[in-house]
Amino acid sequence: MRRQARRWKGSVVSSAPSFLERHEFLLRRLHSLAGLVPVGAYMMVHLAVNASVFGSPRIFQRLVFHIHSLGPVLPLVEWTFIFLPIIFHGAFGLFITTGVKPNIEAYPYNSNLRYTLQRATGVIAFLFIFWHVFHMHGWFHNHFWVTYVAHPLMGAEFSPYNAGSSAALAMQASFLVPVLYTIGILAVVFHFSNGLFTLGITWGIWISPTAQERAKLLANVVFVIFAVAGMASIVGLYSMSQEKIAEVRAEEDEAYKVLVETGDIVPNPEKHSPLSEYAPGKHSDAEESDVEEGE
Amino acid sequence: MIAHANKPKTFFVKILRQDAPGKPSYWEKFELDYEPELNVISVLQKIAAKATTAGGQKTTPVCWDCGCLEEVCGACTMVINNKVRQSCSALVDKLLEDGREIELKPMSKFPVVRDLYVDRSRMFNALKKVKAWIPVDGYYDLGPGPKQSRGDQEMAYPLSECMTCGCCVEACPQYSKIELTPNVGETPEEFEDRKVDTFNRNFVGAAAISQVALFNLNPTGKMNAGERLDALTEEGGIQVCGNAQNCVAVCPKKIPLTMSIGRIGRAVTFNTLRKWFDRPAKKH
Ligand code: HEM
Ligand code: HEM
Ligand code: SF4
Ligand code: SF4
Ligand code: FES
Repeated sequence: MRRQARRWKGSVVSSAPSFLERHEFLLRRLHSLAGLVPVGAYMMVHLAVNASVFGSPRIFQRLVFHIHSLGPVLPLVEWTFIFLPIIFHGAFGLFITTGVKPNIEAYPYNSNLRYTLQRATGVIAFLFIFWHVFHMHGWFHNHFWVTYVAHPLMGAEFSPYNAGSSAALAMQASFLVPVLYTIGILAVVFHFSNGLFTLGITWGIWISPTAQERAKLLANVVFVIFAVAGMASIVGLYSMSQEKIAEVRAEEDEAYKVLVETGDIVPNPEKHSPLSEYAPGKHSDAEESDVEEGE
Repeated sequence: MIAHANKPKTFFVKILRQDAPGKPSYWEKFELDYEPELNVISVLQKIAAKATTAGGQKTTPVCWDCGCLEEVCGACTMVINNKVRQSCSALVDKLLEDGREIELKPMSKFPVVRDLYVDRSRMFNALKKVKAWIPVDGYYDLGPGPKQSRGDQEMAYPLSECMTCGCCVEACPQYSKIELTPNVGETPEEFEDRKVDTFNRNFVGAAAISQVALFNLNPTGKMNAGERLDALTEEGGIQVCGNAQNCVAVCPKKIPLTMSIGRIGRAVTFNTLRKWFDRPAKKH
């Protein structure tokens, strides 16, 4: 009513409230929730799965096979539960961040530093995830896109049916890759663990100062756990020797053969590394191609 | 006294001045003889009496606001050596411990009326928006209200100390300055309407959130708890808080603001869910 009256009088400066303004509370709460589930939950599982490559590329491949046993439904699951929530949380997060002036110089408190870092790491996370998904996954698995856009730009390097070996090669593509991954992972993990702390205030889970101190401790523990997990996968992938990669690839191909026979995995030539014996355009003669490619 | 030992003979006061709303601001420096036990208000009184800059030039007296002179009204709040605080309780002996100069600026989140005097009406508007009062006025005696437990009283007391001074929002990175000027052809009422509307659409700030915690704790105030929570989920409500926790760090009354934010954050979530599922408001 008030707004309408205001408009009649012709004294409007700001336009009628936009969708974002009218639903500010709901959107902020959804943004907060999305940071925990599904995005945060995905990150925890993702980093844990990736860390397994440090101990055993075989376990890593087994976990990836599990995920990819979804076959043709996988892209739907990825977009609904991973990509769209990340895009929503990320885009809305950037929107929240713009227009706010950090004042850390004037008020150099610990909590203000966390606040400022939460925004800074959000921006880093945005850039990192945008590039990282392109680098490993490619964003789209359309044949044209993968062949003519992603591959020439060092994207879509990950081949799910040769998980460990292709991820290792992707990580070793340049010394910059592990550097960028380290920055990206530390930023995302800080963002997530500090986000966990603020989320507890947002939703009123930890209220008293004592409870908040304990929650901060918990957040720090979460940070350490997932930072270590992330570093483990980077080190595991970056330090894999060429011989080891070839060995791992042969093992992956063997596992694939068995799983296709049992029907647990749907054949899909695009999910093999170009160096795999099952790569498109190669006949599946294991011994022969192994000798040719093994470096 | 030890505190006054080796103090300078004179000291400087640098003030960020502004002649009127919307006018450019400029620095002026004043030199004063040192005396023990000055506070910033007495310094400002001396400067007003002198009205001469350190360079010896005549100038207009510096304008500021104050009331109680004992840190309970909040009117004299300004930014002193880059920290927001009350000028009546800012002691010169303390401030001179780190140098011979004191820097005074008006708060940056409110429109300047003149010099160090700002217009905090947005804060008072926020109290209206969240109905920070208990409606007990009427034509007949309503009888004694319900009793408040000892525990609740102890929780409420610190919250009741808020003096709407503005320190919390001055330090809050999520709270941005709003300064409006009348449009051509706009009547004062229309301008006031537009101002209230703009205030209501921007962040209410920690003080108002904490006042909701206070009044929703009161046994009579509880009866309007839902309305206050509704106001805090409108545009500019509690959701704008980004948990920087500067508010609690600078509050001169040490009000546990982040505790209020957490408690109200939880209450608004439940309040919103109840409304969604069309459930009656909780009778505490
Ligand atoms: C893609 C880029 C991202 C951007 C730009 C971004 C931005 C933000 C911002 C600005 C906030 C603060 C919101 C507020 O205080 O109101 C935030 C909170 C949060 N973010 Fe992100 N974020 C991103 C990615 C992520 C990721 C990948 C995760 C999980 C791993 C995540 C988890 C969280 C959590 C848990 C919160 C706390 C919510 C709360 O305090 O209520 N974010 N994000
Ligand atoms: C230790 C560092 C990391 C490694 C080695 C790594 C590795 C990978 C690999 C191999 C893929 C491709 C999976 C596939 O196509 O099936 C992938 C996808 C993806 N990663 Fe990471 N990742 C890391 C950190 C992160 C972090 C911190 C995030 C942020 C939450 C993240 C988000 C994603 C997303 C959103 C996808 C695409 C979703 C999907 O493929 O299902 N990654 N990552
Ligand atoms: S909460 Fe504290 S800082 Fe904020 S207005 Fe009240 S007394 Fe001032
Ligand atoms: S906790 Fe919220 S209200 Fe307090 S300073 Fe931070 S953003 Fe502002
Ligand atoms: S004059 Fe009242 S608080 Fe300083």
